[in-house]
Amino acid sequence: MTAETIIQSLASGLLMGLLYGLIAVGLALVFGLMDVVNFAHGEFLMIAMYATFFLFAFFALDPILAAPLVAAALFVFGAVVYLLVVRFAVRAKANTGMVQIFSTFGLAVLMRGVAQYFFTPDYRSIPHSWLGGKTISIAGIYLPQPQLIGGLIAIAAFAGLYFFIHRTDFGRALEATREDAGAVALVGIDKNKVFALGWGLGAALVGLAGAVMAIFFYVFPDVGASFATIAYVTVALGGFGSVFGAFAGGIIVGLVEAITTLILPPSLKTVGIYSVYLLVVFVRPRGLFGSI
Amino acid sequence: MLSVRDVTTAYQGLVAISNVSIDVNKGEIVCVAGANGAGKSTLLKSIAGAERPRAGSVTFDGNRVDGMAQHLITAKGIAYVPENRRLFPRLSVRDNLRLGSYLYRSEANREEPLDFVFKLFPRLSERLEQRAETLSGGEQQMLAIGRALMTRPRLLMLDEPSQGIMPKLVDEIFQAVKRIRDVGMTVLIVEQRMAECLEIADRAYILQTGRVLMQGTAAEISGNKDVRKAYLGL
Repeated sequence: MTAETIIQSLASGLLMGLLYGLIAVGLALVFGLMDVVNFAHGEFLMIAMYATFFLFAFFALDPILAAPLVAAALFVFGAVVYLLVVRFAVRAKANTGMVQIFSTFGLAVLMRGVAQYFFTPDYRSIPHSWLGGKTISIAGIYLPQPQLIGGLIAIAAFAGLYFFIHRTDFGRALEATREDAGAVALVGIDKNKVFALGWGLGAALVGLAGAVMAIFFYVFPDVGASFATIAYVTVALGGFGSVFGAFAGGIIVGLVEAITTLILPPSLKTVGIYSVYLLVVFVRPRGLFGSI
Repeated sequence: MLSVRDVTTAYQGLVAISNVSIDVNKGEIVCVAGANGAGKSTLLKSIAGAERPRAGSVTFDGNRVDGMAQHLITAKGIAYVPENRRLFPRLSVRDNLRLGSYLYRSEANREEPLDFVFKLFPRLSERLEQRAETLSGGEQQMLAIGRALMTRPRLLMLDEPSQGIMPKLVDEIFQAVKRIRDVGMTVLIVEQRMAECLEIADRAYILQTGRVLMQGTAAEISGNKDVRKAYLGL
């Protein structure tokens, strides 16, 4: 193992980690806002990838151009899921926690089934996009262009999110609702609107990630499952509900995964991530940046 | 301005207030007094929309507001400061105040009440960057009232503003309530500390076990023999 291979895989791990962060942040956002874990988060990623695939297949729209459209569509989808499903689940008179879990878990099963029926279980891929399969060499290190652009998009998305939360009125309303959803009505804010906005925003971010992922990853009905699992780990590592913890958590997961593949056979690549995860939950159960 | 008619509100079958009627006229300070558990807080919640009355009506400036969503009632011009204040603890004093004017779009409308809030409670202006949770009880109450004023209400409702506050600050809060009225707002205040409340109030109601026991001008109430014995300890 040369120094070069190590740097090479750390660099790829970092880029992948930025994407993991982007996938996970919507989960953290919604959890922080209303203490609900979206078990259909992976399926949100799946439909974003399909949307990107079909925009390419039917309109020859490159995934990079499709990304904003997919994000916008997912925003609407996320808000609708809140308004039609979650809003009622959180009002359950008994066993609220269980009702929440199974409402989004059921949604996940439903979305996968519908995807299998309409899109078939076939693996699809986008054959020749602008970035697909291309690499760029920076100081002797080869980086895949889709992951590089994906990483930059993730950084831009986090910067935008930071600006949105800290500098706009909607962002302040979001923070206030995180603090005390029962109190925002005192200043005339409709908490249901804020929740719908939070779900929309979280879905839009995973939509952005899905558009980039579709460039270099197969699209199939179950694609969300493995990424969702990583997203839960990322969120738990970073601290449940902490949006910027998800960013840091994603980078850590990406790097740990890269280091693991250097040492262990590829089939064991998740061993590293879950070991770090267990370590963190034992030593610091609230996560690295959690404040709960 | 505000007319509450025969309002009955229950929690899980337990009636907290029954057939309560009160009126608040423009420019008044009205005090609702009574012992713990008399239903004072429930009355304010029923007006603010935090609880839905089971029967009766609440009319504000000629419009029925009972049954309306709480945030819409705030938008109608009723600001409510609940008993536990419900500030946004980890947000700064500045952000808490800023959120108060969330309903307004123009910057001029949003900033306008700020001068008055700082004049009422100068110490808030010295603590703008501090998190709300780091303020003392009295300062938190000031911030809660300040945030309510930022919604530019016509009616301000305060639930036990003196609770958990140093005696020295209690007087400051009550004096502030007077000044709020003096600039044209109407105040409905619920208190256990009846003596202080009656001092600044124009009219008062006494609630007992969910019903209106007595009503009258502040002078009438504080001059009443039974009230003096039962509530004022005189």
